[in-house]
Amino acid sequence: MKAHRNPEPLWRDEFSIHTADERYVSRRQFTKFLVLTSLGMFAGNLWILLRSAFSKTPVYSEQSICRANDVPVGGVWLFRYPSEKDPCILIRPDQDTYVAYSQKCTHLSCAVFYSPEKDRLECPCHEGYFSVRTGNVLQGPPPRPLPQVILERRGDEIVAVGIATRKET
Amino acid sequence: MGEQMFGYEFYVDPSRCIGCQSCVNACAECETHRGTPMIHVDFLDRANSISTVPFVCMHCDDPTCAKVCPADAIKQTEDGVVQSSLKPRCIACSNCVLACPFGIPKMMTELEQMMKCDMCYDRTSEGKRPMCATVCPSQALAYVPREQIERTRRDKPTNVFLFGKQRVTTKVFMMLPPERDALSVDVVDYMWEAKHESAS
Amino acid sequence: MERQNQPTQKRGLTAIDGALALIALLLIVQMWLLTATLESYLAGHREVVLPAAIISGALFLVCAGLYLFVRRIDAEARAAQKKEEAPML
Repeated sequence: MKAHRNPEPLWRDEFSIHTADERYVSRRQFTKFLVLTSLGMFAGNLWILLRSAFSKTPVYSEQSICRANDVPVGGVWLFRYPSEKDPCILIRPDQDTYVAYSQKCTHLSCAVFYSPEKDRLECPCHEGYFSVRTGNVLQGPPPRPLPQVILERRGDEIVAVGIATRKET
Repeated sequence: MGEQMFGYEFYVDPSRCIGCQSCVNACAECETHRGTPMIHVDFLDRANSISTVPFVCMHCDDPTCAKVCPADAIKQTEDGVVQSSLKPRCIACSNCVLACPFGIPKMMTELEQMMKCDMCYDRTSEGKRPMCATVCPSQALAYVPREQIERTRRDKPTNVFLFGKQRVTTKVFMMLPPERDALSVDVVDYMWEAKHESAS
Repeated sequence: MERQNQPTQKRGLTAIDGALALIALLLIVQMWLLTATLESYLAGHREVVLPAAIISGALFLVCAGLYLFVRRIDAEARAAQKKEEAPML
């Protein structure tokens, strides 16, 4: 398969003087880049898979939050659970109901606040609203419900014992 | 061959040139190279004759200027037109100026760029004629379909030029007397090759 | 001389144009899949992670296959072009 004269060196193809070939080379480079990006996406999915496979179900320690009457009806109590980096909000919507959620909005982690007039948790950044009863998204960009903190009433004390994992959609 | 450029081809007939410089002035009007014409009209033997010849880029099939450019700045389009150098790439090394067998590329040192005739590609790519062919009163520069040349002229067009043993074929045709097939250029090439037998 | 090359050059260009369009489309699907998987995982639905990873891998393999296919077409086109320019003795 040898050519009559010396075959053209590769650089003449890669840096061709013909505009059609040039377009081909730059398009091929772009295609290569896209395929690499595709590999990156797959690596992302793999990473999630590995994290899911190797993560242990977390064990939460108990933490006393406050006394039952520290929180007025329709009021809130801010605390951090399970670590200093996890701000949470406890709401007492009526006399005997205490609910608590992570305060980080599931959209972009802005701090949500309780609106007693509308009886919902609101995120000021992009107007995402969460239900106080369940933490589900009522409106807005947040993709997931707010993680709920499991509370236990021990006499006069409110104690956080864990974070609820959701199995239902 | 002419299908790509709307069926037109470029013909240069030196014997028709009257030296009026219309082509030079028309070319100089172009916005791309304001004021500087990419075509020039030369006297052949000024002391003894008034004959003149216009010099346009011959748009070689295998453009030497493009092949020797170290910055890959000269491109040839799919229809065979060799473009001026790309401004971001040209380093004004004058390699193309030295390499061109017809002496066409002009080095604009103050712009740091080589510029040359590109057959008015902005016009010809849309089916219009180049400026020089449009204004030439004697049609020494003609941009017409081939059958028109065959019908109206005695001379025969050729696009083969011999520089010693080197054969250059071009997109632009030159009109030669009917008995000639190719134009041998530059006697010195033959002399040099005879002296240095290894030259191919 | 280069006018003989038009068909082979154009063929390579058309092939890569088509492959580029397809790969871009698959990439968009993969991007959506990644974000959807992440959202589901963070919401606690662990069961979607494995099928998503498999599908993402399959999409990537299709993209890679398309790219290699276009490379092969271009290599064949260049080999044919060289044979035209310099025929074997």
